[in-house]
Amino acid sequence: MFRLFKFLKPYWWMVVILIIATGGQVFATLQLPALMADIINNGIVTENTDYIWQTGLSMILIALASAACSLLASFMSAKVGANFARDVRKAIYEKTLSLNIVDIKNYSTASLINRTTNDVNQVQEVTMMMLSVMLLAPMFCIISLIMAFRTAPDMTWIIAVGIVAIMTSVIIIMSLVLPKFKIFQKLIDKITLLTRENLTGLRVIRAFNNEGLEKRKFEKTNDELTKLSIFLDKILKLEGPLVNIIFNGLTLLCSYIGISLLNKDFSYLGNMSAFAQYVTFVMMSFLMMSIMFVMLPRANVCAGRINEVLKINSKIKWQSQTKGVPDKVASVEFRKVDFRYPGAEEKVLDNISFTAKVGESTAFIGSTGSGKSTLINLIPRFYEATSGDILINGINIKDYSKDDLMQKIGLVPQRGVLFAGTVKSNIMFGAPNATDEQVKKAAEIAQAANFIEKLPGGYNAHISQGGTNVSGGQKQRLSIARAICKNPDIFIFDDSFSALDMKTDAKLRAALKPITDDMVVLIVAQRINTIKDADQIIVLDNGKIVGKGKHKELLAKCKTYQEIVKSQLSDKEFAKEMRSVNA
Amino acid sequence: MRKENKKGRSTGKVIKSFARFLISIKKYRFWIMLSIILAIGSAVLGIFIPKILGDMTNIAIDTYPNIDFDAIISKVWLVVGLFVGSATLNYAQAYILTVVSAKYTRELRNQIIDKISRLPIAYFDRNKYGDTLSRMTNDIDVMTTSLSQEVTDVSLSLSILVGVTIIMLTISVPLSLVSFVVVPISVLVVGKIMGHAQKYFVERQNTLGALNSIIEEDYAGQNIIKSNSHENISIESFNDTNFKLGKITMKAQFLSTLSMPVTHIFTNLGYIAVVILGGIFAIQGKLTIGALQAFIQYVSRFNRPITEIASTTSTMQSLLASSERIFEFLNEPEEEPDPEPAKTIEKIKGEVEFHNVNFGYFEDKPIIKNFSVKVKPGMNVAIVGPTGAGKTTLINLLMRFYDPTSGYITIDGVPTKEMKRADVRKLFGMVLQDTWLFNGTVEENLRYGNQSATLGDIMRATKASNVYHVIEALPKTYHSEISEDSDNISAGEKQLITIARAMVANPPMMILDEATSNVDTRTEQLIQDSFEKLTHGRTSFVIAHRLSTIRNSDLILVVRDGNIVEQGNHEELLKAGGFYAELYNSQFSDN
Repeated sequence: MFRLFKFLKPYWWMVVILIIATGGQVFATLQLPALMADIINNGIVTENTDYIWQTGLSMILIALASAACSLLASFMSAKVGANFARDVRKAIYEKTLSLNIVDIKNYSTASLINRTTNDVNQVQEVTMMMLSVMLLAPMFCIISLIMAFRTAPDMTWIIAVGIVAIMTSVIIIMSLVLPKFKIFQKLIDKITLLTRENLTGLRVIRAFNNEGLEKRKFEKTNDELTKLSIFLDKILKLEGPLVNIIFNGLTLLCSYIGISLLNKDFSYLGNMSAFAQYVTFVMMSFLMMSIMFVMLPRANVCAGRINEVLKINSKIKWQSQTKGVPDKVASVEFRKVDFRYPGAEEKVLDNISFTAKVGESTAFIGSTGSGKSTLINLIPRFYEATSGDILINGINIKDYSKDDLMQKIGLVPQRGVLFAGTVKSNIMFGAPNATDEQVKKAAEIAQAANFIEKLPGGYNAHISQGGTNVSGGQKQRLSIARAICKNPDIFIFDDSFSALDMKTDAKLRAALKPITDDMVVLIVAQRINTIKDADQIIVLDNGKIVGKGKHKELLAKCKTYQEIVKSQLSDKEFAKEMRSVNA
Repeated sequence: MRKENKKGRSTGKVIKSFARFLISIKKYRFWIMLSIILAIGSAVLGIFIPKILGDMTNIAIDTYPNIDFDAIISKVWLVVGLFVGSATLNYAQAYILTVVSAKYTRELRNQIIDKISRLPIAYFDRNKYGDTLSRMTNDIDVMTTSLSQEVTDVSLSLSILVGVTIIMLTISVPLSLVSFVVVPISVLVVGKIMGHAQKYFVERQNTLGALNSIIEEDYAGQNIIKSNSHENISIESFNDTNFKLGKITMKAQFLSTLSMPVTHIFTNLGYIAVVILGGIFAIQGKLTIGALQAFIQYVSRFNRPITEIASTTSTMQSLLASSERIFEFLNEPEEEPDPEPAKTIEKIKGEVEFHNVNFGYFEDKPIIKNFSVKVKPGMNVAIVGPTGAGKTTLINLLMRFYDPTSGYITIDGVPTKEMKRADVRKLFGMVLQDTWLFNGTVEENLRYGNQSATLGDIMRATKASNVYHVIEALPKTYHSEISEDSDNISAGEKQLITIARAMVANPPMMILDEATSNVDTRTEQLIQDSFEKLTHGRTSFVIAHRLSTIRNSDLILVVRDGNIVEQGNHEELLKAGGFYAELYNSQFSDN
């Protein structure tokens, strides 16, 4: 939590003003009871009306000063709080964007989003509270104590009694309740989970006629939650009445002690009510601080989650300027590349070597876990090879600056990812200077032009957040158009065709052919049909290359490849394929 | 003029939702009334404390210097009795409300879950899950916390207010008037400020939503941003919204904290006026010192409930907003009830027939037009067509997730419309592309369609669906916890489990979706193999993607833009040279 306070640094002068204003406010407020005691003792008892008016006037001035201070404090704390939250959000966002998949593999997107928004809000709230309560309460407490001591030194022990009483009650209640809060939170999560399940599994639940079962499951958790929340509330609700008893008891004690001291000093008449007010102030500040301590652990958890992200050091270091001059001709070469996840024993990729030449297409095929997606993710350095070298246009990827390397790569991921904006802004995502002609051309090649023209607004049609207003296949075609529009040296299709039906797949590949003459094309695919015509097919199994060659060569000699082909064709077709190899 | 209209309508709406809310808590009216009475009792007892303390001072002054301690001690015990009594009553009412509000929210939650199972599927196809989920979580949460708090606060505050007013008036009418004057002014000013703050809070909520969307999108598309060197532009747009959020937060925050110093200044001014005037009255002998001290205490007690009631109005607003959202959901029109008495099928043969079926998701956009087909028992039907052509519509109709606009579907000659939905659905096993598994053990998931299945039945199914070894390899085998997003098993293995689940249920007919993207080839082979076992000898409807399935099926329904454009078997359709032939040639032949 306190580590995040470095984000307050640019606003230190606001914090200083805040502290001064808060102090002023406290000091002013606390003068009022003393002055009131003066009015009673010096004004009423001596029947001095002028004195009352004079003191009254200074009370008004002090009240106004106090209000001014508290206005200033409110303004500063709002400003500091808002700026603080803004800066923390910005830091997390920029950090996250700068990290690579390998760095944030252990965090789900949802959790990263939560850290950027909810956690920051929590921390902001507590920081604001700390800035007001943590400053205000101790000051209030100390000044009240001093004032109390000055008005009635003989009675200060009452305060000690009060503090002990308040602290004990708060500690007892909290120690009863806090351990159960974790369970409570878990039950709340479970309610959410069950509701979510009921919604996402709607069709399955109805298909199996299991509405009743689901309801019973839910009701069980709901009952547990209800029981626990009654238990917690029963204890928590004790606090109000208890605090009331303590406050009233103290006030009574002040009056009684004050009266019994009258014989010694008649000024206790006015002092005892002033004193009673100070006692109330001291108790209030203790209460506020105890609330603070309840909130702090929760905020600490959030702050911890934020710090966790901010602390991640990217494992991938980029050159600020590309070392050496890359070839004009596109090429991709892997030299004895190994990859394993940090801390893992098993290699995901083992001794991978191959060369992909310009104008040719290289396809990767293999079962899940064979490492083909990982292999492709090494090229834009989303992951870093554990050993071995990867060369692009003749230069090691580690010698490139980030922008130079990325500019050479056109990546189409497994799932079409779009951004809010227009069709055009999405296609131009990697090529901000593309002309309308180029955008159109890219869409045509990607087989997207037809549906785009049917959209209201055509290329200017609105794409909603995450591209939810176009279908999965359309999304995929738009993300292919985006890569085409960039006109890269190296095309990477990471299983990009499986969201398309076979007809569109075939058409798209045919349209791509003419423009890829001066490019290297890398394709990860599931379907044999998609890669059959590739110039080079690399068959992966358990991270190793088990076959390399053209379709027919592999059919003839690579067992893994045969298995894959067989699984996708009927026996008759497979036999036909094999005959064509032997012919 | 128009603005007034709008306001009038919204006031009507508020009253309506308030009334709906009151009706829903009617069941607890006895307990709520009791707790209000207890709250009033607690407040009344508490009110007398300062007055008696003042009396103590007066006794002391009157008998000074020979203070009558006996009289004072008796007053002390009276005060102790009062505040202990007041606190006890206070706790009793809090206790009652705690139980009431917990029970009430439990009931609401159950009602929502129940409602989910009663709403037509169409509702969820139109509305986002997140929205319903948020009603269950956020809105219920608002209701629980504010309900018990509000009833306590309002009843306590009101009774204190009334009681204190009366006592203050009995002590001194002019002093009371002075303190009363301050109240409406401060309430008015604070109300104005809060109104402004509310505006900014709404704006803040909206901006926060916008920022959330940006973050969500950018985090999900991080690789694309990176590989297109788009970071700077993304950061710029994030900063724009983030900056705006900061500014609005500041305004909202400042205005809402402003109410504190503003109330304070008015309270203080009132307090000072009372001290000055009271002092003068005391000198003039119109007021005892004890009474003045008591009065000063009452002034501070008088101010607190007023600020509390003022803050209640804003929580009340959010309570009403939430209850409105909950009741809106609970009032959604439900599925048409099942016919009474419903027809049943004794011994199922598995003949399915569509009779002149017309259907559209929207009334003005018919999708299926006058479609008829007869599926004989045991036939395998393949539904084919390009992506997004509407192949699932047929399944929606078969399972009665939707009903045809006109025409009807029969099973063994019995119109499904005249059967109970549950009875129709019992006849079909369903394996969809979306592999929904709930949080629970493997065994519980497999048993989902047939609670009385034995472990032997389950193992037979897992063997037949080729998932036996996968489950055996899990650390706790059949007792391993799995869920929709658990990653200890792959997508393909999840699909195999859903197949096994359908096998355990052992229904007479099957509905399958073959689309298995992101599944490796070997698993795909296993899936295909178990699909074949599943459809063997059963009437089955398959959304087909594999050539072998399509060719071997007895009947192919070709879907295009939602319509069924052709039907027949593979050879017939090829010969016809229509859309199917085109589709087939472009996809599967070697040109």
